[in-house]
Amino acid sequence: MLVKKIIIPLIFLSVTIGKAQDLSLSGYARTYLGALTTGESEYSVIQNTFDLNIEHSRGDVYFKVNPFLYHYSDEKLELGIRQAYLDLYFDSFDIRIGKQQIIWGKADGVFITDIVSPKDMREFLLPDFNEIRVGVTALRFNYYLDNSTFELVWIPVFTSTQMPDHSSIWSLQPEYLLPYSVDYSNTDVKDKLGNSEIFAKYSLLSSAIDFELMAAYSWDDDPAFHSEKIINQNVGIVDSVVLKPEHHRLTTLGGSFSTTLGPLVLRGEGAYYTGKNFQSINPALDEGVVEKDYIHYLVGIDYTIGDLKLSSQFIQQAVMDYDDYLINDEFENTITFLATMDFLRETVNVELFSYIGLNDRDALIRPKVTYDFVDGFQIMLGANLFIGNEGQFGRYDKNDMVYTKLKYSF
Amino acid sequence: MKLGNVITLTLLTGVLFSLSIFAQENLTGRKIIENVYYRPTGDDSKSDLTMTLINSRGDERVREIQQFSKDFGEEEKNIMFFLSPADVRNTSFMNWSYEEEGRDDDQWIYLPALKKTKRISSDSKSDYFMGSDFTYDDLGDRHPSEDTHKLLREETFGGEECYVVESIPIEDDYMYSRTITWIIKDKWIGLKKEFYDEDDEHLKNLTVEKYDKIDGYWVITHSVMHNIQKDHKTIMILKNVNINTGLDDGMFTERMMKRGI
Repeated sequence: MLVKKIIIPLIFLSVTIGKAQDLSLSGYARTYLGALTTGESEYSVIQNTFDLNIEHSRGDVYFKVNPFLYHYSDEKLELGIRQAYLDLYFDSFDIRIGKQQIIWGKADGVFITDIVSPKDMREFLLPDFNEIRVGVTALRFNYYLDNSTFELVWIPVFTSTQMPDHSSIWSLQPEYLLPYSVDYSNTDVKDKLGNSEIFAKYSLLSSAIDFELMAAYSWDDDPAFHSEKIINQNVGIVDSVVLKPEHHRLTTLGGSFSTTLGPLVLRGEGAYYTGKNFQSINPALDEGVVEKDYIHYLVGIDYTIGDLKLSSQFIQQAVMDYDDYLINDEFENTITFLATMDFLRETVNVELFSYIGLNDRDALIRPKVTYDFVDGFQIMLGANLFIGNEGQFGRYDKNDMVYTKLKYSF
Repeated sequence: MKLGNVITLTLLTGVLFSLSIFAQENLTGRKIIENVYYRPTGDDSKSDLTMTLINSRGDERVREIQQFSKDFGEEEKNIMFFLSPADVRNTSFMNWSYEEEGRDDDQWIYLPALKKTKRISSDSKSDYFMGSDFTYDDLGDRHPSEDTHKLLREETFGGEECYVVESIPIEDDYMYSRTITWIIKDKWIGLKKEFYDEDDEHLKNLTVEKYDKIDGYWVITHSVMHNIQKDHKTIMILKNVNINTGLDDGMFTERMMKRGI
């Protein structure tokens, strides 16, 4: 009943606004079915999606609203606004106001300087990247000088990473030997001017090289888990822990570049972060976290052999002033690999993408085949295979899945 | 969608603009091809391109593009906005090509799903453009110095007096062993072109169905590339052609790739 109540007004809204002059409507409808390959082959996802872009422009003013709707097999509905913003165009600068996805950097599938829009990790890294990026309410100012762009972003209200529910197969339970509870009283960042985030970027697109330089004074999208030890007064020892997730200020300086070397495209991206709180088992620490700086960078190449397109990236995260009490490794190394090829006049695409964790010898391997049955209608078959037992991919070893997606774009 | 290479589309918008000022005596095959390649094309142009891909069963797929180009002297810049099919709408592609011999083009693609502008390599000019029967070289970017050219004969074709020129690639492993082009004598337009594969088997025919004089330049507005071996073809139709409208330099920037038309 709830479904009908919401869908009918949506359809009516679409039809009504579709008649308005110069209003552009585009988007897609998609059905997505995934099944685990382990255990009893339970369905991991049964989801229908409707994603609509409503656009209108008048002279140098443009607006866009991007509502979306996810419908699940249990009749649960999720209705949201991915983006809703207004653009003002001037001769040498633009202003964008409203909820928007802001994507920076040259990396593929890795987030280094791309820290403006937080992530929706409720299905780990599996959704399309357009769905992983959460829109932020922001004021964005872009000034253009020849092929240079100066960008300034003010985010007055903090938005954190969206994490999966405890019942989700993507949920990560903290690993503690003692019983624990979670206290979220310090988790929210209060909406006030002093809690704003500021991001700045200079970018150049030129014949020789493209590069970006960025700086940010923001909040860490992922909370640090402070812990409070609870002492059993009867026996005088710690017998449980209260976890208190808390966001901390993060200052970031970074950059990225991309250039061609004959048939190769060479890319790089790196950033230095200060203010990150890492989890530690140092018994001298009261709250189980310690502040450390860290570096995150990658180098990557894109290469084409005939119709086969190849791409690979090496990524390293290094913690400064490392001590052995940290849960994180001092160096965490990851490789990504992409191979993609088109067939039958580009109506069939075969792709293999993988993340490979070198520290834990784990991986996520994502083969898929896409067929454009007719223009704008795609049939996709794919798999997500988690290799290993630990590490950021191996810990999901039981979540191997095959899936199919049918997508109609209009 | 494959967008990995140069897209100046000069066969349609540039190579086919022509002047009749070239001397027509003692012409070699090389000179005829150079006359087609090196001729004034106007300072800038914009047009709407529709490609209809037809397979052997007669099924059609349509790709629509709006394109802009401008001559900056030592370099030419081109930007394309993809209008359909729906799943590639708002994708844009920018190409900067240079007169300097041997200098590769610079190319970028903006992918709206990723909200990123990616630099891409311009190395593979034998790739087919958007799944069509046209390679990037077929679309006009192949330099005359990359082939040896021989004037085979002069004959009347399609009611026009034509030079017939055979071009053989200097490169050993190129996808065509040779091409034969019928070029209208007083317009320097390639009216028909036959393509032969690496085994010297007849692979494709390009035929020009219609050309018009627009703003003082000859422009091919309707052409068909037929792959004989696979029996599929691509129809290219150019509409709303405007030349020398004074396009702003700012049209050929990342700002416009992201903003769209």
